[in-house]
Amino acid sequence: MNIGRRHTTKAFPWRRSLWIASLLTPALVVMVLFVLWPLLSAFRLAFYEFNGLQPTGFIGFENFRKVLFEQPYSGWTWNALKHNIIVFFALMVFENGTAFLLAYALLKALPGHRIHQVIVFLPVVLSAVIVGFLWKLFLHPLFGLVNQTLALVGIGAIPWLGNESTALGSILFANIWHWLGFPTLVLLAGMQRVGKEVIEAARLDGAGDYVLMTRIIWPLIAPSVTIVTILTFIGSFNWFEIPYVMAGLTGSPGGATDVLGLYFYRTAFGSTTTGIQDFGQGSALAVMMFIIVAGVTAIALRYLRRREIEL
Amino acid sequence: MSTVVATREPAELLKNGAIQLMLAINAVIMIYPLFVMVMSSFKTNAEIFSSPFALPAHFSLANAERVWSETNFVRYLANSVGITMAAVTLILLFSTMAAYAIARYQFRLSALVLMFFLSGMTVPLKLAIIPLFIQLDSLGLVDSYAGLVLVYVAMGIPSAVFIMTGFLRTLPRELEESARMDGASEFRIMRSIMLPLARPALVIVAIQNAVPIWNDFFFPLVLITSDNLKTLPQGLTVFIGEFTTDWGVLFTGLTLAALPITLLYIVLSKQFISGITQGAVK
Amino acid sequence: MSRRRMGLALAAASFAWGLAAGVAHATDISFWTWRQEDKAAYNELFADFTKANPDIHVKFESFPDENYPTIVSTALAAGKGGDVIHTHAYGWLEQFVKAGYFEPQDLTTVPSLANQPADALVAGTYRADKKVYSLPFASQTLGLFINKDVFAKAGLTPPTTWDEFITVSKALKEKGIYPLANGMGTSWFNEMFVAIFTNPFLGHDFVSDLTSGKTTFKDPRYVAALGKLLELRDYMPPGFEGIDYDTAGQLFISGKAAMLAGGSFDIASYRTQNPAINMDFVAPPMAKAGDVPQVTKFFDGGYAVNAKSANKAAALKLVNWMGTKEFGDKFSALLGNISPIKGVVIKDELLAHVAKLNETAMPHINVVYFRFEKPTGSELLQGDITKMMSGSITPDQLAADLTDGLAKWYKPFQGK
Repeated sequence: MNIGRRHTTKAFPWRRSLWIASLLTPALVVMVLFVLWPLLSAFRLAFYEFNGLQPTGFIGFENFRKVLFEQPYSGWTWNALKHNIIVFFALMVFENGTAFLLAYALLKALPGHRIHQVIVFLPVVLSAVIVGFLWKLFLHPLFGLVNQTLALVGIGAIPWLGNESTALGSILFANIWHWLGFPTLVLLAGMQRVGKEVIEAARLDGAGDYVLMTRIIWPLIAPSVTIVTILTFIGSFNWFEIPYVMAGLTGSPGGATDVLGLYFYRTAFGSTTTGIQDFGQGSALAVMMFIIVAGVTAIALRYLRRREIEL
Repeated sequence: MSTVVATREPAELLKNGAIQLMLAINAVIMIYPLFVMVMSSFKTNAEIFSSPFALPAHFSLANAERVWSETNFVRYLANSVGITMAAVTLILLFSTMAAYAIARYQFRLSALVLMFFLSGMTVPLKLAIIPLFIQLDSLGLVDSYAGLVLVYVAMGIPSAVFIMTGFLRTLPRELEESARMDGASEFRIMRSIMLPLARPALVIVAIQNAVPIWNDFFFPLVLITSDNLKTLPQGLTVFIGEFTTDWGVLFTGLTLAALPITLLYIVLSKQFISGITQGAVK
Repeated sequence: MSRRRMGLALAAASFAWGLAAGVAHATDISFWTWRQEDKAAYNELFADFTKANPDIHVKFESFPDENYPTIVSTALAAGKGGDVIHTHAYGWLEQFVKAGYFEPQDLTTVPSLANQPADALVAGTYRADKKVYSLPFASQTLGLFINKDVFAKAGLTPPTTWDEFITVSKALKEKGIYPLANGMGTSWFNEMFVAIFTNPFLGHDFVSDLTSGKTTFKDPRYVAALGKLLELRDYMPPGFEGIDYDTAGQLFISGKAAMLAGGSFDIASYRTQNPAINMDFVAPPMAKAGDVPQVTKFFDGGYAVNAKSANKAAALKLVNWMGTKEFGDKFSALLGNISPIKGVVIKDELLAHVAKLNETAMPHINVVYFRFEKPTGSELLQGDITKMMSGSITPDQLAADLTDGLAKWYKPFQGK
């Protein structure tokens, strides 16, 4: 950047400053009031005891101790955290893995590839409430489309969302259906940047699909892969809407689908049957989630930037 | 035109066939559930349970009529339209102003200000919902359009500033300078010369923000309580609670809720895709 | 000409009168509830109230059950919310009273409190100051719905003991009818489900031992009663783990299932959904023949006045009216709920039968005694029961989790 000072404005430095300040002010005010201040407060509130919505006293790390080390809260916290981690890895393998295959298939640009791009991206524009509820109906044990289809081949009613062993997987499936188009098209864009010439040159040198993929495309789309990974990570740890709609606030059955987002909301704003809410413990959970997400993202971004320079 | 040199070898044909098959299967998995959703919206409960795969016996609008007359659906729809438009307009306005200052002028704190905005991009604002709620409460903005819109504006500004700054920096300096020579005011330069050039970026930013705001469920869930102020996704959960056992009406509600954005997407699919993947694709 | 002028004058006069009338009925109050399905009935009741109090208009505002506690607590904290608020009882209420959000009610502000029996008032009383904050509105009874037509067609008699229940269920299952419609897909109802089938095995002695601190949920009686639930799995629909309470209701009223563990609060809605249904509501299976039939009874909640209400006088007036026999009679008739108000006449035969069952009813242990602090008995039980029913934990483990969790704040359980 080498934007020199203009002589017109140089004559009136205060006027120029005022002009710049007035351009920046609205955005800054909104950010300070509704992002910075709440975020700093979130850290502060985690150290307070609450009665209803009023902080009643500073209690140090007591809220953190409870959610991390005191049963039953700690059991719930670790259970939820475990599920977030499972969700992240499952999405990496199944969502992003499928997306990678689809992207490679679309890269070939066979007839109809444009319409396929539009189709795979369609669910992405829909609300998670719509997607979650649609799949909840489809997964209904008796009347749902999935079991009705399975019944045609003689498979009995499976309680997809009611069974501990299938509930999380079923919700993940709905989530993958919802979001698949996003990593697909991000990776496709990454692959397309590799450039026709590079690929054609490699082909002429006799490179097959496997060599082309591992030696040329994969290294060059590494930045896209990293971005997809980071976004998947953030998404996994903020997961809320689809489990809320499909499994309810308690992560039914028996917490088998509980994730930090649900647990945080339940703690802060009261579980369904009791209305007992705890802003202190809720804030402690939020702070921990924030540290996980921001920490991992920062490290990953640094790593990404370094690698980009190397390439 | 194909990216890869098309060879007519049988192996190549076979491979292309396999790829087409995979894409076709994927397309069915993506589309069929939505197709069933739309078809079921014309069916009665009994039809949905007994013949889930059949086309509806009659394309009856009875379910749609119930949604129209027995729920607040239209109100939710109008609220979503209003809130999304207000939030997107303010995001475009505020972040373009800020980005213009950062991109086109050199001032001492420029880098710091940009850093401040960029750091907002990774902040999951959901996690600050408790103090955000207390903050909005002290401003008297809980359960109001304004409160919700301001939260969305705050969420949208960082990435909008990022995109607009990047774009505005690419604009040529000559136009601006010759206008300045002619004695045009800074405001006029921005308004009449630079911003018209930024239109493609503005469209991207608008879509990038409009889709998540339109679909958001979390913030209304916490911040809006009055039925009259509810947004479409939030209203949909109310509606689902009221009609749990009437699947025909449920599918109709889902179909109607999905309809506006789906139609828009079909018309503007290119802009939607680049808008939503913007930020992940450089 | 003069006719036209007169017309104008009339129009102006009526316009002015309209304005005046608009000013006169100044008080609009709102009623907040989670009972979305009761809108029509409440609006009818409120119309009666306005007839008697023309200066007060009541607006019915309802919220989804699942978000109701959140919405109420956030609104009250912000000094907003309905003027009259429908509350759940016991621990649910206490949370809000503790924070000072509700107005205390006594015989001077709400004279109709005198119409309430003592056990009902407990449900609306704050334990710490012994004041009433919520006027009890209904007692709910949990028991077993019987589809009489299905039984008649199958040539079977509804069971009264556990052994009969098993025999009858086997026979029904052979005929292709789901014996018991219930599933485990609705958390809040799972807790009711446990109460319904375990209470006849527990008995009043267990409750008094539990509340006097003599025993905990680790008691062999409780563990054995939980074990009985496992036997039910064979007679629930396929995929029962994922079947929610609404679906169960559909299976029952459509005759696909013969029995349904449910609440008297659904009698009215099942009748509306299938007017031809011929159903009965009976006590769940007894441990052995000759036992006293034991349904489960609890007070659902009440009507509280928002302490920050701008129209407190009008709100108290409404709550007072909701404690009168006039309200109770119509409320019971319209909604099929049993009003606790003394002297209320229940005309409906089935409902009168439920009221009779109430005389020997067991309390809903978790709801009445263990919802006062975090973690509540409800969240602990709801978390574990699906695991127990799917076989991943044993009744012993559930009992231990429940006891240990509650011991955090319930002194009698500590160290046991």
